[in-house]
Amino acid sequence: MSRFQPLKVTAVQKTIRDAVVVTLEPENGDLEFIQGQYLTFRRDFEGEELRRSYSICAGLDDGKLQVGIKRVEGGAFSTWANEDLKAGDVVEAMPPMGNFHTDITPSEGKSYLGFAGGSGITPVLSILKTVLKREPLSTFTLVYANRGIATIMFREELEDLKNLYLGRFNVIHILESDAQDVELFQGLVTKDKCGELFKGWIDVAAVDVAFICGPEPMMLGIAEALREHGLKDDQVKFELFASGQPGRAKRKATSKSAASRDAMTTTRVTLDGASREFQMPKDGQTLLEAALEADVDAPFACKAGVCSTCRAKVLEGEVEMIANHALEDYEVAQGYVLTCQCYPLSDTLVVDYDQ
Amino acid sequence: MSETMSIESYLADGGKLSAPGNAPPRYRAELLRLMASFVDSELAGAAGFADMINAGPGIKERIAASKIVLEKTDNADKVLQIMGEFGANTARYANHHPWSDRLPRDAELAAKRAKGDMRLAVFNYPLSGWSDAVTMNLLMGLAVDEQLKDLGKVSYQPLAETFRKIAPIEKRHAELALEGLEHLTKQGTPKSELQAAVDYWWPRVDQSFGAGKSARFERLKTWGLRHVENQKLRADWQAAAAAALNGLGLDVPQ
Repeated sequence: MSRFQPLKVTAVQKTIRDAVVVTLEPENGDLEFIQGQYLTFRRDFEGEELRRSYSICAGLDDGKLQVGIKRVEGGAFSTWANEDLKAGDVVEAMPPMGNFHTDITPSEGKSYLGFAGGSGITPVLSILKTVLKREPLSTFTLVYANRGIATIMFREELEDLKNLYLGRFNVIHILESDAQDVELFQGLVTKDKCGELFKGWIDVAAVDVAFICGPEPMMLGIAEALREHGLKDDQVKFELFASGQPGRAKRKATSKSAASRDAMTTTRVTLDGASREFQMPKDGQTLLEAALEADVDAPFACKAGVCSTCRAKVLEGEVEMIANHALEDYEVAQGYVLTCQCYPLSDTLVVDYDQ
Repeated sequence: MSETMSIESYLADGGKLSAPGNAPPRYRAELLRLMASFVDSELAGAAGFADMINAGPGIKERIAASKIVLEKTDNADKVLQIMGEFGANTARYANHHPWSDRLPRDAELAAKRAKGDMRLAVFNYPLSGWSDAVTMNLLMGLAVDEQLKDLGKVSYQPLAETFRKIAPIEKRHAELALEGLEHLTKQGTPKSELQAAVDYWWPRVDQSFGAGKSARFERLKTWGLRHVENQKLRADWQAAAAAALNGLGLDVPQ
């Protein structure tokens, strides 16, 4: 179950045109994080709870907690953070999460390679700052892709880090639109571009660990290039920012049919894009059992209301959920149920496993 | 830079997901199902082996059995924690089913899972003494070795990393089983006793590889949750198990 703690906003720094760096302080006690991790915030927008995750951009030794939030077109949370969030506000966040890091080994000198695209710089920045400080023998090469000079987040900070860690930190800026002195540094970071970079600019054979955070096509291309140049699966770490869910969840549909005394319910279940309709009794069989009997390959595991594998969304109708040990209040508010625990109350029911 | 692709195409092209928030609903459900099957199998396997600790013929055997129980339970926990990140109630999950439950030894050979838990069917059958346990551990250990090779490639990166950490631990359990059988043979355990155990467990372990091609496998493949077909995993296991048995002077059942 999620535990949220309040964080006070102590500063909101507008950096490039549509991104802010937010400095946060826990109201109670300390907040420990590992480099590369992210925070999940929650906030009500027009009566609906939204949760969004943003990577911590601070290093472990920065002495502060900071996240970078870039405005996404039509994004409720990122727009609010860029326009309305200010020092003194209190936001709620879950403890830091994420596996986008490797162990710090101060006595070893490792060769790190980082690829960041746009706002993907945030976790990579946290990692490189931490690694350069805590592994004095290690080196870090960053390939940072952006549309143009004006869209480079943390441009000055990266310059400062280059001067601070002279010889150990190298940044290669690749710009999509703006012309660069070195022609290779213009365009998109693709598999082929990586191949070219590995020829003269990056000693890929010496690389111990690669971190990649950027748009999906970029990540796929880089991964393939690294694989072709000898890096193993466990040497390459990805962080994907994409969400598996649509931006704003639809409001839970108001039920068209209230609970009634008819013995049977007409139920329609959607799974993998296909819908099946069947009759089920109001008593004696859960929604999951009825779906399985109707040859729907519905997902399930514990059948005890504990694992949430059987989660689905009720789009129409009403159900009674006997036990719920896994879903959070905000999921239930959106219409999600544990189908292994549900009995129908209404005469018609529409349930979707695809949402 | 602004171009993105659907998660489905990204996965179909070999992309990896890195956090629960990345997972679309159907992927999430199938991932949870896959994890639950592993967790339930490990917990059931450990629970069954726990009884065998006292059946060990010597101190070294008792230590080996204890180590296997501890490590399989710990491996289950590693994967259960990831399930927790997707919303599963891990504290309750650990106890939601009696893991030591077994069907009768002569219960019908069926690949169906018991109600309410996702363990592989092989873990529904009880162990019958020390030699039987060691034999089952060898055959199933070699099977898990093949399955983890496939699972170590899953597209959910934190889980792939966990399976890669677990694989050498499970492999060591199979090695302990082989050493145990070698020791039993040296100590004069009748071949017929060991062969009877092989004959009992072979078809049950074989069944844990599942059916041939299925629509679900194809879908899991496009999501990067499975890579190697059941038949290939089964064939690889059969070869490894046959080699191990023949080295002990035992036969593969017909």
